[in-house]
Amino acid sequence: MPNQPEANNWPRWFDPRSRSLGTFGFILNRVTALGLTLYLLMHLIALGQLARGADAYDGFIALVKNPLFKLGELLVIAAGVIHGLNGIRIALNSFGIGVRCQKGTFIALMLIALFIIAFFTFKMFSEG
Amino acid sequence: MRESLSPKRLEGSGRWLLKIFTGLLIVVFLGIHFVVNHLVAPGGLLTYADVVAYFQNPIIVVMEISFLILVVIHSFLGLRSILLDLNPSPMVLRVVNFVLVVIGAVAVIYGAWLALTIAGRG
Amino acid sequence: MTEQLWQVHFKVHRQRTGGKPYVRTFTLDVDPEEYILDAVERIWALHDRTLTYRHACHHSTCGACGMRVNGREKLTCITTISSVTQNGGTVRIDPLRNFPVVSDLVVDMGNFFLRMDRSGFNSVAPLAAACLPYEQPLTAENSIDHEPERLVDCIECGLCISVCPAANTDKEYVGPAVLASLHLMYVQNPTQEFIDQADHHTGLWRCHSAYECTEVCPSGVDPAWRIMDMRKKVMSDRIKSIFRPRSSEKKNAQPA
Repeated sequence: MPNQPEANNWPRWFDPRSRSLGTFGFILNRVTALGLTLYLLMHLIALGQLARGADAYDGFIALVKNPLFKLGELLVIAAGVIHGLNGIRIALNSFGIGVRCQKGTFIALMLIALFIIAFFTFKMFSEG
Repeated sequence: MRESLSPKRLEGSGRWLLKIFTGLLIVVFLGIHFVVNHLVAPGGLLTYADVVAYFQNPIIVVMEISFLILVVIHSFLGLRSILLDLNPSPMVLRVVNFVLVVIGAVAVIYGAWLALTIAGRG
Repeated sequence: MTEQLWQVHFKVHRQRTGGKPYVRTFTLDVDPEEYILDAVERIWALHDRTLTYRHACHHSTCGACGMRVNGREKLTCITTISSVTQNGGTVRIDPLRNFPVVSDLVVDMGNFFLRMDRSGFNSVAPLAAACLPYEQPLTAENSIDHEPERLVDCIECGLCISVCPAANTDKEYVGPAVLASLHLMYVQNPTQEFIDQADHHTGLWRCHSAYECTEVCPSGVDPAWRIMDMRKKVMSDRIKSIFRPRSSEKKNAQPA
């Protein structure tokens, strides 16, 4: 990759080597943003099954009840929780609030995220 | 010295505010969504009949459609910001703007049509 | 000075102008409390006279010796060898990122200096303005007949530009140091000119809150804090403009 700024340096956005905590926040936010946008479009297309009536939709729900789809669903919830909580930090920071304690805020919010994700994991996989 | 002529501003405080405002509302709406789905309707909306019944409440229809609009605005503004990081040429950016607006509008119209169709099947 | 010398392998980035980069390893016996720049100078003096690098003052004031040490942006004149490796260890030395490499460890910072210039950057400021608002402001010890001034913190070393993930892909992004300079200028002279320069897709809005600039700054400028403070100002102006539509036009219409 070239040393000077160039668009094809973009894989470096996601390179966490010799980086500090702030970059982990940046990477998490960017990855979840792209993932959630992709999910939004997939979700809209999938819900089109509703228009095709009861049989089509109920057949589709039976398909997504398998563990692989459930794992995907869990990833979406995790991405949403992480992006949402991290977004609160970034929004507050850009109003000049909590900039000097952004690291502590990040750790606290990600612990909350972990707790929420654990709750949903337990809930989704215990219901069977 | 080309850069001393300040190029046209492509992103400013207005779009950032809109992103924060929609982001905040999405967090609120998602909170309501989870509470409704897991406390009010235990087990979630897992059958076609459940969904149709759920959409009989006009507040739900309005909420789902506004939620979609918020999510589309927030995610497409974010996507545009990521693309701006790649320093696109004005030509490429015009295409990006056009594509994002068209996909966004189609997504909202399609989603609204879907919500109203389901609501009409009660 | 410690008694014992360490043997350290320095893997140095080599590159002729426009040429292919490669790595050359030099093994040196060093005092662990020496600085990385001392080692680089010794490599040049005793092992390879063709090695190019920039340095001047040796005491973190000129900002010339910024390099990446084991991948991380450092001012090499104040980075001790013991802080980055151990006896028998390896130290990688690379040029700063996000600037074109001239040769070896020298990068072309011309564009960056030009942008600093355009931001109105002045290396001297009144005591109160030169400090960050959350710092204890310095006071002059003796009473003097003019307003006390001091050198501002930014030494234009470019470490913040090198570490910034947004500056990685967008060559038009002015970067943390320039935005911090605009903030400093605005604090001293609150005019719209500095706000307009910052409120731009190549300015405030390319920052994605990775806070790396503040992390690597060897001089305590806290560019990230300054960027966010500038954002606060720009956004409160924007919110006010929503509730006072066209008021400025009305003012302009009235005779003064």
